[in-house]
Amino acid sequence: MRTTHYCLALLLAGTLAGCGSTSPGSAERKAMTLWHHQTAGEGPHLIQQAVDRFKASHPNVDVEVVPINNDAYKTKIKVAVGAGNAPCIFPSWGGGTLLEYVKANQVVDLTSYMSKDNYRARFLDAAYTPITFDGKVYGVPIENTTLAVIFYNKAIFQKYKLSEPETYDDLLQTVRTLKQNGVAPFALANKPKWPGSMFFMYLVDRLAGPETFAKAAAHEGTSFEDPVFIEAGRRLQELVRAGAFQEGFNGLDFDPGGTRALMYSGKAAMELMGTWQLSTIKSENPTFYQNSLGFFPFPAIKEGKGNPRDIVGTVGDNFYVISSTCKSPDEAFALMQYMIDDTSVELRAKAGRVPPVKGFKTADPVLQQILQLVEQAPSVQLWYDQYLPPSVAEAHKDTSQALFALSMTPEQAAKTLEQAARENK
Amino acid sequence: MKTQSKTAFLFLLPAFAFLIVFVVWPVLYSINLSFYDWNGITASRHFAGLGNWRSLLADEIFWRALRNNVAIVILSIAIQLPIAMGLAVLIHRGGRALKIFKVVYYFPMLMSTVAVGVLFKAVYDLQFGAINPMLEAIGLQQLALDWLGDARYSLYSVIAVICWQFIPFYMILFLARLVSIPSELREAAAIDGATGSQYFWRIELPLMRGIVGTAITLSLIGSLKYFDLIWVMTEGGPSHASELMATYMYKQAFSSFRMGYGSAIATAMFTIVMITALAAMAVGQRRRAEA
Repeated sequence: MRTTHYCLALLLAGTLAGCGSTSPGSAERKAMTLWHHQTAGEGPHLIQQAVDRFKASHPNVDVEVVPINNDAYKTKIKVAVGAGNAPCIFPSWGGGTLLEYVKANQVVDLTSYMSKDNYRARFLDAAYTPITFDGKVYGVPIENTTLAVIFYNKAIFQKYKLSEPETYDDLLQTVRTLKQNGVAPFALANKPKWPGSMFFMYLVDRLAGPETFAKAAAHEGTSFEDPVFIEAGRRLQELVRAGAFQEGFNGLDFDPGGTRALMYSGKAAMELMGTWQLSTIKSENPTFYQNSLGFFPFPAIKEGKGNPRDIVGTVGDNFYVISSTCKSPDEAFALMQYMIDDTSVELRAKAGRVPPVKGFKTADPVLQQILQLVEQAPSVQLWYDQYLPPSVAEAHKDTSQALFALSMTPEQAAKTLEQAARENK
Repeated sequence: MKTQSKTAFLFLLPAFAFLIVFVVWPVLYSINLSFYDWNGITASRHFAGLGNWRSLLADEIFWRALRNNVAIVILSIAIQLPIAMGLAVLIHRGGRALKIFKVVYYFPMLMSTVAVGVLFKAVYDLQFGAINPMLEAIGLQQLALDWLGDARYSLYSVIAVICWQFIPFYMILFLARLVSIPSELREAAAIDGATGSQYFWRIELPLMRGIVGTAITLSLIGSLKYFDLIWVMTEGGPSHASELMATYMYKQAFSSFRMGYGSAIATAMFTIVMITALAAMAVGQRRRAEA
């Protein structure tokens, strides 16, 4: 009954790779599909090598790997899950969206798998927060530990005698200097809306720490109209009016590398982005990675109450989950274990990623720096658009983009978001 | 006679069945869904009566989307049809020598819409594109606008590309009609001293009324349903500046997990297109009866 009810969704989704069926006759052939959106740099290879090694030890299992572009993936997976056609294994950012799947019984409870042989002790404690609901674990942390930092071009900073800003006022000064010299201070690709929201999230956290957002999201004690959000919006628009972003930022696409092109060509000096981008830059432009790329954490706001060591990001960015329509969950879990076993961890480190496993040590000074930032962070704020329930997340992205476009005042944006949050209660 | 209609019935049946299952049934189901609140993945949904419809009527974004669709209707008809007509007439008059133009002008129609979208996104790019760097180089910086990122221009920038892609379609349509006009008419008109322009306005154009009517209807319906290039180039942004009914429906249903509300938008869209199409056809019928 359910599948016929989704004729419309099926038509739109087009090619859906569902779990295959066992073929009669052969020795229990199983088939699984794995979707991922690691389409840049070393990404596809990191996944494929784990799949290959898994297939070597499980010759009776066929695994189909489907890489999909990041932004396209976000919609495609929702359609697939809704149609009851989700792949066996797929990545999730945890938080609100995953909770929707859990409530709809669309993902497998992995608590027992994780407790077996105390597998769960392998991962950092902070990694479990976005994937644990009601004490049950629903995902395996596999991709990066990632946080948003400000990448910058060391050569440009040297040229204009700039140093890494330690306070927000220093940052504004840096922006002014760069602007005067004809360099776009920040590269920003805000068409998908989430890159710009990183500024908003850091401003809120630096101004008031993580509790305000958490309380607003839980409708306890405050709302999205809290003065903190309005102040953050005001500072954001101050940044826009100061010309901190390259022209056309609200129309630029992120996935095809719009901001990276600006950084490589020296047209922009900085970019606030997740540290997963290190891995992409390393494989895309190793010269730039070696010679010109640096990064510093989002600076502190002196008047703010937030701890300047707080980070916005996630430990275990991209947890892999098992769909409840999967016919071979045991094999699926085994495959996921290959994706984060010691060989994989080593390869991921070499590719510039920071796997969310305990005791991870690296010789790479860049990764070491990231690791330190994560370990010292008193709080890790998960991206709002993953934390919040989907329709509120969309409202957050829309209002964030509107703030950047100066088409809404901070008060209007706050009101709109609070309305969306209330409607979703 | 009886066996003929029985055979005809059997031949028509499979396509009919297909349409019922994959078009009629989903449409009816969507209309039904518009009365529910549903996130698209849970098994349960709860009846919301006219709730979604009341929200829709008060939804500023939906009305903006509808206005954008109407903008596309008006601009498409006003831009695409005259240019297509002009090209068709020129190519027709030029004869065999101009055949190459017909072939090359048709290319945009043959390209995948997504490819066209990606191509023009690159063209419109402010730093690396084809337009702005050139404008800046010849000293026309004021014209170097933020084509896709500025809410005032994004819709029109995409409409320009839509026109680029669809003009060939109408050109071929008009050309086909022009070719079927007997050349004796041209000769007779020349003998009577008619200029090329008089021939066009007084003889060719009136004879093309039918095809122009068809073109208007097609453009009208297509513009109301439009999705492709807007989605690829701006996703309805920035801030819903270029939002269309179809893109808004898609976002509500599949990104915001509001399948019920998305279905209401879809049903509203279907109704609007249906009424407009019927009206256009009625006008067309009456015109033909008068002619």
